[in-house]
Amino acid sequence: MRKFKLLLTGILLCFSFTVFAQQTVKGVVKEKATGEGLPGVSVVVKGTTNGTSTDFDGNFTLKNVKTGDILVITYLGFKEKEVTLGTSFDLTIELEESTERLDEIVVVGYGTTTVKDATGSVEAITTKDFNKGNIVTPENLLSGRVAGVSITTSGAPGSGSQIRIRGGSSINASNNPLIVIDGLPIDSNGVNGSRGILANINPNDIESFSILKDASATAIYGSRASNGVIIITTKKGKSQFTLDYDVQHSFGEVVDRVNVHSANEFRNLINSQPINNTVIDVSLLGNANTDWQNEVLRSTHSTQHNVTAKGSIFNKIPTRLTFGFSDQEGAILTSNFKRSNVSISMNPSFFEDHLKINLNYNRAFENSRFAASGIGAALRYDPTQPVYDAASPFDGFYQHYTNTVNGVVLSNGGTNPVAALLQNNNTGKVFRQYGNLQFDYKFHFLPELKAVVNLGYDKSNGSYNNFGSLNSPASYNANFVGNESFGNQVKENKLLDGYLNYKKDFKDIKTDFTAGYSYQQFKDSGFNSGNLRNPNNSPDTFAATDVVLIGFFGRANFSFFDKYLLTLSYRRDGTSRFSAKNRWGNFPAAAVAWKISDEDFLKGSKVISNLKLRASYGITGQQDIPNNEIYLSTYRFGNTGSQFLFDGNPIQSTIPQPNNPDIRWEETATIEFGIDYGLFDNKFTGSLGVFQKNSTDLLFNAPVADGSNFTNSITQNIGELQVRGLEFTLNADIISNEDMNWNVNFNATLLDREIKELALNQDVTTGGVAGGTGNTVQLFREGFAPNSFYVYKQLYDSTGAPIEGAYADLDGNGIINGEDRYLKEDPGADVTLGFQSSFNYKKFDLAFNMRASIGNYVYNNVNSSLSQYSLLLDQSVLGNIPTSVSNTNFQVTSDVILSDIYIENASFLKMDNITLGYTFDRPIKKYTKNSIRLWAGVQNVFTITNYSGLDPEVFNGIDNLIFPRSRTFLLGANIKF
Amino acid sequence: MKLIMKTNFKITKAIAFLLILIVTFSSCTNDLNITPQDDQTLLGEDFFANESSYKELLAGVYANLSLTGINGPGSSNIAGLDAGTSQFGRVLLYLQTLSADQMIWSYENDPGVREIQRNLWTSQNPIIVGMFSRTHVTIAFANNFLRETTTEKLDARNVSAATRAEIVTYRAEARLLRAMSYYYMMDLFGKANFLTENDPVNTTPQVYDRAQLFDFVESELVAIQGDLKDPRTNEHARADKAVAWTILAKIYLNAQVYIGQDKYAECLAACKNIIDNGGFSLASNYLHNFMADNDVNSADNEIIFPIVSDGTHTQNYGPTTVMINGEVGSIEANGAALGVGAGGWGGALRLRKQFVQLFNGPAFANDDRNTIISGTRPIDIIDISDKDTGYILEKYSNAKSSGGFGSDQTFVDTDFPLFRLADVYLMYAEAHLRGGGGMLNNAVSYVNLLRTRANNTNTITSGDLTLQFILDERARELHWEAHRRQDLIRYGLFTGGNYNWAWKGNGTNGVALPAHYKLYPIPSASLASNPNLSQNTGY
Repeated sequence: MRKFKLLLTGILLCFSFTVFAQQTVKGVVKEKATGEGLPGVSVVVKGTTNGTSTDFDGNFTLKNVKTGDILVITYLGFKEKEVTLGTSFDLTIELEESTERLDEIVVVGYGTTTVKDATGSVEAITTKDFNKGNIVTPENLLSGRVAGVSITTSGAPGSGSQIRIRGGSSINASNNPLIVIDGLPIDSNGVNGSRGILANINPNDIESFSILKDASATAIYGSRASNGVIIITTKKGKSQFTLDYDVQHSFGEVVDRVNVHSANEFRNLINSQPINNTVIDVSLLGNANTDWQNEVLRSTHSTQHNVTAKGSIFNKIPTRLTFGFSDQEGAILTSNFKRSNVSISMNPSFFEDHLKINLNYNRAFENSRFAASGIGAALRYDPTQPVYDAASPFDGFYQHYTNTVNGVVLSNGGTNPVAALLQNNNTGKVFRQYGNLQFDYKFHFLPELKAVVNLGYDKSNGSYNNFGSLNSPASYNANFVGNESFGNQVKENKLLDGYLNYKKDFKDIKTDFTAGYSYQQFKDSGFNSGNLRNPNNSPDTFAATDVVLIGFFGRANFSFFDKYLLTLSYRRDGTSRFSAKNRWGNFPAAAVAWKISDEDFLKGSKVISNLKLRASYGITGQQDIPNNEIYLSTYRFGNTGSQFLFDGNPIQSTIPQPNNPDIRWEETATIEFGIDYGLFDNKFTGSLGVFQKNSTDLLFNAPVADGSNFTNSITQNIGELQVRGLEFTLNADIISNEDMNWNVNFNATLLDREIKELALNQDVTTGGVAGGTGNTVQLFREGFAPNSFYVYKQLYDSTGAPIEGAYADLDGNGIINGEDRYLKEDPGADVTLGFQSSFNYKKFDLAFNMRASIGNYVYNNVNSSLSQYSLLLDQSVLGNIPTSVSNTNFQVTSDVILSDIYIENASFLKMDNITLGYTFDRPIKKYTKNSIRLWAGVQNVFTITNYSGLDPEVFNGIDNLIFPRSRTFLLGANIKF
Repeated sequence: MKLIMKTNFKITKAIAFLLILIVTFSSCTNDLNITPQDDQTLLGEDFFANESSYKELLAGVYANLSLTGINGPGSSNIAGLDAGTSQFGRVLLYLQTLSADQMIWSYENDPGVREIQRNLWTSQNPIIVGMFSRTHVTIAFANNFLRETTTEKLDARNVSAATRAEIVTYRAEARLLRAMSYYYMMDLFGKANFLTENDPVNTTPQVYDRAQLFDFVESELVAIQGDLKDPRTNEHARADKAVAWTILAKIYLNAQVYIGQDKYAECLAACKNIIDNGGFSLASNYLHNFMADNDVNSADNEIIFPIVSDGTHTQNYGPTTVMINGEVGSIEANGAALGVGAGGWGGALRLRKQFVQLFNGPAFANDDRNTIISGTRPIDIIDISDKDTGYILEKYSNAKSSGGFGSDQTFVDTDFPLFRLADVYLMYAEAHLRGGGGMLNNAVSYVNLLRTRANNTNTITSGDLTLQFILDERARELHWEAHRRQDLIRYGLFTGGNYNWAWKGNGTNGVALPAHYKLYPIPSASLASNPNLSQNTGY
């Protein structure tokens, strides 16, 4: 009630001013850099509450002013300006964009704040901070930029990435952060035929990213926030007409190769008969000299074009329209990625800006051809055989075959990798439409109160088509040849959000309250044809059970004396994945911050220009498990190949499904302490934070007593994971003057993940590797980092050479078996570092990015599964093996595949890109505003590492040959009107 | 004052608006109650609305012997090992045959295989996990079937009298499958989680030891006989009285191992029952038992209970698919004649020397059961990964006796003969020799029936019939049929050093095994998930 009294007082005060009306001032507020009108700028008479805000063209009218009044003009992200009213009551005011990071707007869940007022660990990366270089998918704008965020992308064109914020919070449940585009949380799993969930989003459409890391920032997203949140805001329309055209050409080449034997080395090796107890038939050797890796890799040419037009439609609706085209060739033969995007954004305001409408609509078309095999097949294939063979019945490709009276007989063993690529056409297509419509209404009778309703929609229609040549060797001797299949998947995601926001500043207290509701529904269904050439093929339709998520949320921000900040937030979330008794979860969070630099004793400091201490604590949840109906008691029958026969007649055998009616939330409690600092007039800014996340009741596939359920392992809430970390950021404006600017950003992350408790204290094997059926090399064990490598301890002879198959008897029982495996290192980096430099001198600009990862280990699965002499025989033909075999002289894969000799330190330093540009200002004098920037760059400049494999940056620590990353030379132009 | 009133009114309006919003939104929370949408998934009561569901559910219990999951051969409803490897017959073959003296698997990087075939296993072994868990899932499925077919439930669902009559037999079959599962647990692990239809899902199970399991299996198999169909009158692949008798014969034959009691007379009686009252006869050709059409050719007269496999409808990586693809030689590439890819799996399976030697001599040169291929191969396997060493076998096939092949070139149509008449003949002979009564003449003639059927003219006389002879003859007749470990244990030869075979105990020529290897260890995950369960001695 007190609140309402205060409110009333405010309204009465407003009323009282009308009594003393004097004069009216009109004006327009523009952005200095562009000359565009700025909408929503606050114009207030200093020392009063008399104020207004500009319309979408930047115009304002303010009554009851008099000469001598000082107008305070403020706009988020711009430097505050004061204008003293003289005789003119028609003003043109130009605002300059604030270069101070502290004034930067940060989009948070259901609202915005600024860096200086943020109480949580939130980082905003806007257009000017984005990575440059060869950016095909949005997440690569961010790589290495943000402490605590790791982004791993393979070299495939348009490839998706593994994004981890603070190492994730789960073991078995999802570790993907929640990605929110213009208020619409998107599905964390992609659709069939697509390369990744962000692959069909045009990076050029993105205005900013907000990375929410600690619980105080994320808890407003409740049940989906445990792995952090990335909020993507797309570019909006503007009233001033502008036209931008960006073009980029890139020329790529994979520089490194896995070292395998050349044809001559191979001949010598085979002739030396290196396989114990086996004589290789040397007549299998051919006469050609083929480097198969060179044959399957190619130099690539890729292009990107973006055209963006902005302007006002009917002089009323600020609009942006972007067309984007991307055509990327993959480094492996046949692989490519094409994307076209159309996006439109309309942002009109009505009723004197009381109602703002934001409409974003995107259409994306993604077309990919997937390489049917990787370089693994190439490094294995016999280098003494040619690529082509005119006599070959296999479309003229060389294959190991013999002509017999019964026709062509294919030898057992590997097949021609070039043929595998060219004879298989595996394509994927996605049509995605997504967007949102947001109404932001500021109440006429109570302008401090606004209501926001956001409707979001995201539908992807993906399909794939695989076609293998009828003359391909695949199953040549079988009763069907190769593969021909197709399928589709439709995913749909609907959102309705609504919230009320009440913002009111009192004398010493500023308040900001938000309360709302969110409803989201995910649908997923599709069809797989199976292999149409297989007479026993069983096509299958599938439909996932809908996922419905409902949340009620609230947040209160208080600022006392502009020095002490308090944020309280709360979300109550329901999920359809859990039973009625467990489905609702409560996710509270609180944060406090103290702006010490605003205290009197620091106010005049020459050194410390900003200092803020902050602390936060909160609880977030996790419910993202693959089984959407695990709490229900259901029955399933098999597909057409999984039936039973009674009397030879198929019967739809049906089994009860494993169920866990007690399944409930996994919870993560995060505590964080941080310091945000600014030194020497904010020349140096940054932050230092330490955090600890404890995930409890882990959603974990754990053993269930045999016979008591319809499986031996089911998702249960058992286990605890702890992630501790330290994050440091430094932004330095080393040089900042008219002619020259040099800004660097450095960030460092220390991360330590440890499993505190596992279900029933049971080790869980994970990390499938090549070589053997179902072999694993990693383990979850209490007291260790997740995915620690689980290997045998190699024994060495007196000369230091490893002894094949000889392992330390760690349990000392005289038998070497599974009990002698031990944990050695883990794939997680102890420290990751990012460094960006951005330099301008007059019209030149130079920028580069570096990343380093220290203490990450990799299991070299290429060597472990291939570097053994017995593999020179690939069934009945010859096969190449890595030259690293001479380091160990190992003979048999199965004796050594789990040796710790293959665990390598894969620390690295990479320069991701470097670009150099030059801007011509107004090259076309006819127009008042235009510019051309020409630039060139290199992507994947260098990697420094001791790791012996192709690339130390792999997924989950197992190097089984990722799609190789090209070094790319780039040329581009940005043309603006 | 008026102004305040007005503002108050507006605030009231705002609150009302809010309330309306909340009420509207709250009503949407009903959407959190979801129903499955996949056409293969049904909620329990929807499923039972159709009376054909009971037979489908029974098929589900049977199918767990053949299938590993519902989405093809690569799917599995148990965790802890490769999906295909978790097939019941496959893990049974590995634990009963691969662990002994007849078989070697070349790819030792397939997890667990090395430790099984070299007798180095631990409680972490995935194949042992597969056996323990897969079999307990059958028990859970059977219990679920029994829970869902109680009189009360059938009353509540108004099930017709005709279906109820069928359900009586179905229930007996579900109990048989459960008893059979407990029999295997008793044999391999000496204990099991004991659950019946009276234990709801997610009950922490009590544990039965060998003696308790023996009593339970015996009493169940006796109790259900009235409800089971007479031998060979049920649909093919469904169990009848003869299956119950066979399991009884097996537990009695091994009773000395299981409970330290002599039950040879009971064994002999059960065998006699099958032989005299079962209506079975030997297949006209030994190899018919192992061919793609062994569900319809003359083997249909001999096979008492199969594990079904079908390249079209029942695809699995079970024992027949594995043995037929796996027995194809690395050198010979003889797969085409066996109805699989010419190269098969590149020589995955070979023979150990001691087994080969059982066929030594001219007496077995023309024996149909001798499908050994030696070629230029050395008999010894010094290096297990060298697929060109050691002899190979050509016993199982995806070819049909009538010509032509199974419907798929990987997933064979060949059923695995879990129990067949030849085994019963040899059990009779052995039970007789061990003092179970019966007639010596019959025992000799049963053995000779097998030899004659195999076109081996070297029949035996009563003087030849010794226990050692029977053990050897069992190997010659029943090799690669998942009997060997059980036989060797009954003969006291599996552990200890009285009989060492190639790679026994991880020695090229074999070394002695400690006695505790007669039982497999309880998988550590199973141990952890049931506090009532304890590890077997020695592990």
